Amino acid sequence: MKQLTLFKSSLIALALASSSASFAQSFAITHATVHTVTEQGVLENATVVVENGKVIAINPETINADSIIDAKGKVLTPGLIGSMNQLGLVEVSAVSRSRDASDKKANITFDASLAFNPRSTVIPYSRKGGITSNVVAPRGGDDMFKGQTFVADLSGEFDSVRMNNNSVVIDLGAKSKGSRALSLQNLQFKFEDAVKELAKANKKTTNTKDQKEAKEPSREAQVINALLAGEKALVAYADRATDLLALLKMKEQFSLDLVLVGAADAVLIADKIADAKVPVVMTALDNLPGSFDALHVSLENAAKLTQAGVSVALTVNGDTHKLYQLRFHVGNAIANGLSRDTALASVTANVAKAFNLDSGTIAVGKTADLVLWSADPFELSTKVSQMWINGQEYSTHSRQDALRDRYTTPSDMPKAYIK
Amino acid sequence: MQKFLPSLVMAALSVALTGCLQSEQQDEKVVINKNPYPSTYKALPLQTTLIKNATVLTGTGSRMENADVLMIDGKINKIGNNLSAEGAVEIDADGKWITPGIIDVHSHLGVYPSPSVESHSDGNEMSSPNTSEVWAEHSIWPQDPGFQKARAGGITTLQILPGSANLFGGRGVTLRNVPSQTMQGMKFPAAPYGLKMACGENPKRVYGARKVLPSTRMGNMAGYRMAWAEATEYKRAWEKYDTDYAAGKNPAAPKRDIELDTLKGVLDGDILIHNHCYKAEEMAMMIDLGKEFNYKSGTFHHAIEAYKIADTLAENGNCAAMWPDWWGFKMEAYDMVQENVAIVDAVKNSCAIVHSDSANTIQRLNQEAGKVMYRANENGFDIAPELAITWITANAAQSLGLADKTGSLEMGKNADVVIWNQNPFSVYAQAEQVFVDGAKVYDRFDEKYQAKSDFMLGQR
Repeated sequence: MKQLTLFKSSLIALALASSSASFAQSFAITHATVHTVTEQGVLENATVVVENGKVIAINPETINADSIIDAKGKVLTPGLIGSMNQLGLVEVSAVSRSRDASDKKANITFDASLAFNPRSTVIPYSRKGGITSNVVAPRGGDDMFKGQTFVADLSGEFDSVRMNNNSVVIDLGAKSKGSRALSLQNLQFKFEDAVKELAKANKKTTNTKDQKEAKEPSREAQVINALLAGEKALVAYADRATDLLALLKMKEQFSLDLVLVGAADAVLIADKIADAKVPVVMTALDNLPGSFDALHVSLENAAKLTQAGVSVALTVNGDTHKLYQLRFHVGNAIANGLSRDTALASVTANVAKAFNLDSGTIAVGKTADLVLWSADPFELSTKVSQMWINGQEYSTHSRQDALRDRYTTPSDMPKAYIK
Repeated sequence: MQKFLPSLVMAALSVALTGCLQSEQQDEKVVINKNPYPSTYKALPLQTTLIKNATVLTGTGSRMENADVLMIDGKINKIGNNLSAEGAVEIDADGKWITPGIIDVHSHLGVYPSPSVESHSDGNEMSSPNTSEVWAEHSIWPQDPGFQKARAGGITTLQILPGSANLFGGRGVTLRNVPSQTMQGMKFPAAPYGLKMACGENPKRVYGARKVLPSTRMGNMAGYRMAWAEATEYKRAWEKYDTDYAAGKNPAAPKRDIELDTLKGVLDGDILIHNHCYKAEEMAMMIDLGKEFNYKSGTFHHAIEAYKIADTLAENGNCAAMWPDWWGFKMEAYDMVQENVAIVDAVKNSCAIVHSDSANTIQRLNQEAGKVMYRANENGFDIAPELAITWITANAAQSLGLADKTGSLEMGKNADVVIWNQNPFSVYAQAEQVFVDGAKVYDRFDEKYQAKSDFMLGQR
C-alpha cells in the first residue's frame, strides 16, 4: 500500500518521511484560491508558504521555498476536521477484536488513544474526503461518562496522535432503562461535590500543618476538577430541549467549557445556545424524527442555528467508515441554506474552536494541514488534488483503489496475480 | 372455510361440461387467492400537464435538451421539442432537469419507521431462519414520516423488504410513494411480490447464537436447499391436484402451507427473488442454487463484491443493487470499491442499480448515483448522466418486474416524473416537483403539495 507520495524524491526526504518529525524543507503553493477561514476570507491568486510543518507566510513579497506547487487557480482550504467518530479505533465494526472504542468498565478517565491504529485502512480512505485531522470520541461503557476524546491526524504515521484526553464525553438524554433525570442529577451532584472538596482542600492548604496530609484527589476527581477549571471541554450528547437547557444551566453555574453534540432540539432554543456561546456539533443530514427527543430535526437546522449565532460544527454520524462523506454533508447543508463561508468553517475552524485545536485555518503559524481541490470542495464531482498533513504531502490512494485496479485490469491469469 | 364446502351446483356443472364418466362428484376446486390484500391505490387528482424547456434524462439512455414532457391521463403522452397541448397546465422548466421518478429497490420505510421506538420494530420476524410466510406489507405503518421525506427526494416507487436475519425473510411489497391511511392504498397495482433471501453473516450470526441451523455459510446453503426441495414437492402436489381435477377426478387438495405458498410462487415465476448477498463467491452459489431448483436468482442486494463477478451476473440475467460507498461495517462489506456500480454496469446485458437501505439515503439516491459516476470517471470510465440515471430508474424497475410500467419516460408509461432544479447529480440538486401517475404529489415551493404524517401533526 502506497502511504506516501513524496514530492521530493531525494534520499534525505525519504529518510525523513519515515517519521513526521519536523524537517527543514519548505514549499510554496502559488496561484491558489485560498480559503483562509479567518478574517482574511478568500484570497485570489495567493501564495502559501510552508516550512517545518507550519504555514510561515501568506502572500510574501518574495517566495523563498525549496519547491513550488502551481495551484493554477484551484481552491486551497484548511484540511477538514472530522469529529465524534471512532477513526483508528475500529477496522471492521462487526469484528469485535478490531474494536477498541468501548469497554463496559470505561469511565471518565478512559483514554482510548492508547488503542489508536494509524494503519487502519479507514484512514487513507477518509483522506479522499479531504480530512486531515480528527477528534476521536470513545464510546465508553455503562457509565454516563464515555471517556475522553483525542485528536489524531490522518497521516497514518505512528506518531499521529496529536493530543490525548482533550475533552470529556458524556451521554445524556433518553434512556432505554431508567430516567434521564438521574444522569442530570448525578452530573450536578458531581460538580457540587467537587466544588466543596476543592474549597475544603484550599482551606487545608492555607494551613501549612495540614499540607502534608492533603490527599491527592482520585483520578476521576482530577478530571472533574479539570472540567470545573475549564481545562477540558465537557462534550455532551443530548437532544431534547430540556436536556440542553439543563446543560446550559450547569455551564453557567460551574463555568464549564460546554460542547453540545447531536442537539436535535437546539433549533428550539437557538438564541439561548448562542448567548451562552456553546458550540453545537451536529450532522447536516438528520431530518427524520428518530425519537421523541428529535421531533424538530431538519436539513435546514444547520443554517437556522448559524443564523441565530450558534457556532456549528458538522460531523458524520453513524459508522466511522462514512467519515469521508463529510464534505458532501456540507454541500447538502449549503443546498439547504447554510452560507458557503460558514459551511467551510463548520468542518474546519469551528471544529478546531470547539475542541481547542491548533488547526482549521490557513494562517501564519498554524499547522499546515491543507487540501487543494480540483474544484468546489463540496461538490460530488470534485476530488482532492493534493493534500498536506503537518506540511507533508499524502496520497489519497487506498485499499479500495488497489481492489478496483485489480478487477479492472485485463489478465489471462487469475486476479490474485495482479498486485 | 368456504372452499371446503361442496357446491352441488358447481360439481354438477363440471360433470356436465367435461362429460367424462365420473365415479364420484367433484368437490369445488380449491384455488389459492394470490392477491388477498389487493391494491386500492388511485392516482391523486391529476391534470394534463406540459413541462417545457428542460434537460430530460429519459431513463432509456437518452438526454434531450430544451425538451417538453406531456402527461395526459397519468401517462407519458409525448416527449419532444415545442410541444403544445390544449388545456394543459404548463410548467416552465427552463434550466431545470427532468428524470423519471426515482425507484428504490431496497427500503424498510414503514416497517422500520421513524420514530424507531420498540413498538415500531416490525421489519424482521427473527423467530425462525425460514419465515417465507411473513409479508412485509402486513407490517407497514403508512404514517412513517420517512415516506414524505423520500418523496421530497424524488422517490415515486419503492420496494419494502423484510430484514435480513433469516435465510428467507418473507415477502417484500412494492409501493407507490403516495400518502394513504392504508398499505393497500399505496400498493403498486399488479406489481409482483418479492421474496427476501439473505446470504452470509446475518443468518448465521442470528441463528448460530441460538445453536440452530444455520451457524455457518454451509448451513445457510443447506437451509436454502432443504426449503427449496420442500417447496418443489409442494408445487408438485398442487400441480398433481390441478391436473387430476382437470381430468375430472376428485382429488384431495394438498394441505395449504402459507410458508410454502411463497416459495412455490417463486418456482412458478410469480414472485421475484431479492437476495441480500454481499460476496462474490456467495452470489455465484446463489445463481447455481436457482438453477438447481429451477427458479431465477433475481437481484442481489448490497452486492459489495459484484464487481468481482460482473460477467457472471450479466450472463445469468441477475441485477445487482449496490451502495456507492458503504463499507467496513462487517467483514462481508470490507471489499467495497467506489466504482462497483460502474464496473457491473459496463458489462453487456447488465442490470446495475443504486439502492439505499436507509430512510436517510433514500432521500438522495440521485447523489448516490452521482458519486459512483464521478468516481468512476476519475478512474477510466466515461459515464454520462443519461446512463447514471438508469441505475435509479429503469434498471430498478427491471429488478422489480415493472419495466413495462415505470422507470423511463416513454410514451404510454406511467407518468412518474421529477423536476430537478439543476443537474440531479449535483450535491446542490433538489427535486422541485414530483409526479406519480401524472398527479403532482410534491412541490418544494407549495405547501399544498407537502404531505405531513399524522404522527408529526400537532407536535411542538
